[in-house]
Amino acid sequence: MNYYEHTYITTPELSTQEIESVRKKITDILEKNESKIVKEEDWGIRTLAYPINKSTKGKYSNIYIEGNNKVIKEIEQFERYDDRVIKFLSIKIKKIPEENSELVKTA
Amino acid sequence: MMKRKKDKKKFNKGGANSLFNKSNQRQTKSCPLSGKNAPEINYKNLKLLKKYVSDTAKILPSRITNVSLGKQRALSKEIKKARVLALMPYVGN
Repeated sequence: MNYYEHTYITTPELSTQEIESVRKKITDILEKNESKIVKEEDWGIRTLAYPINKSTKGKYSNIYIEGNNKVIKEIEQFERYDDRVIKFLSIKIKKIPEENSELVKTA
Repeated sequence: MMKRKKDKKKFNKGGANSLFNKSNQRQTKSCPLSGKNAPEINYKNLKLLKKYVSDTAKILPSRITNVSLGKQRALSKEIKKARVLALMPYVGN
């Protein structure tokens, strides 16, 4: 089992229901492959450094995954063909940090 | 010609405290990202990464920032990750 850090950006206009449905699809893929989310961070809606698909803002979600490389491949495949997700990045990490990052929205 | 040579000699005589004389000790600055209390290089630590990027969003060379070779490599990798996620720009104004 490896640890992964996965961040995805969704379009800011999505309703909370749709955001939840994107999340549910990812968790479904994870469950299917006997993996799980260890930690979760919500970075909120941020202005993008450059426009992506003509949108200047995006909603950032960050999840820490415990699983194998197959899961990451499947999640990325789903996100690539989903219009709601505009960008994503997954990184293999050695251990999961305990503290929240600075990007977490403090409301 | 002769006059000019004379002037140069005078100039060098300025003494150890002269502003224009190069001191024998070379000033060395240590790497700001190494050591015990060094900050963690991470693509989420935007405040740190923005220090090592020019106004036009280019990565600054280590000869200017005095970052050590290994840390510079790590730094540029993290900056590129941040660029992918649109946390930092590829090109500036």
